[in-house]
Amino acid sequence: MILTIVDPISLLGWIPFLQPAGALGNLWWLLMIPLILGISIAYRATHDASIDQFWQRVFMFVSKSTLAMGSLALVMYLFVYWVIPILRTT
Amino acid sequence: MTNDTNQLDEPLHWGAAFFGWICPGLGQIMLGHRQRGFLAMTGILGLFLCGIFIGGVDCVDRREDPLWFYAQAGSGPIAFAADWANSGLLKTGKVGELIESPPSNPRAPAPLVSSFKTVTVASEIGTLYCALAGLMNVVVLLDALKRRPIDKSQANEGVTT
Repeated sequence: MILTIVDPISLLGWIPFLQPAGALGNLWWLLMIPLILGISIAYRATHDASIDQFWQRVFMFVSKSTLAMGSLALVMYLFVYWVIPILRTT
Repeated sequence: MTNDTNQLDEPLHWGAAFFGWICPGLGQIMLGHRQRGFLAMTGILGLFLCGIFIGGVDCVDRREDPLWFYAQAGSGPIAFAADWANSGLLKTGKVGELIESPPSNPRAPAPLVSSFKTVTVASEIGTLYCALAGLMNVVVLLDALKRRPIDKSQANEGVTT
């Protein structure tokens, strides 16, 4: 998998809030992290009996969720690029 | 068991839930849980605005993506405002320009769509962000519906309850 760097030239014509951000390249999956952050802030704000150490709990939630999603992605990557080619050749 | 029974006996705060839909987190604030409400507001409005920032207002579309919109509408009037901006600015061509797109029926005239409309990953992710903001606000609304209000004299304790 080759990562492309965000193209700054294509950002010049971008109108935020009206046009989709078109310069994400292959880094779009990183948007998972702010998504999990927003969900965890709303979830922790309502779910926990106490909101002491709120941001530490949010950080732990984001870390665990990101790790879990990353692990799933890794498993899928190995399955698609390693396991399936082996199945084809046998 | 006693706590469960007491919780079931708690009245439902329909007003707080309604105002929580009008503005995410407002229900908790009305019940005295100010910090909790502001945090929920930060999470939900942050998600929704990030979604619009990434995907543009086109990612909220009541007519073309009604199923997504049902989820997005959970975040309140802000979703209807985004849909209004989409249909009032983009679809009328006030911003950008209207261009012909390939018709699904060859005999029908080519439909006009905004030049800002795309089917990129960013658009899909923006739609997902806004939908998750709406669904999380439903969770926050349900919390406001059942949350025990705190007295103003105990307002400082709201931080820890």
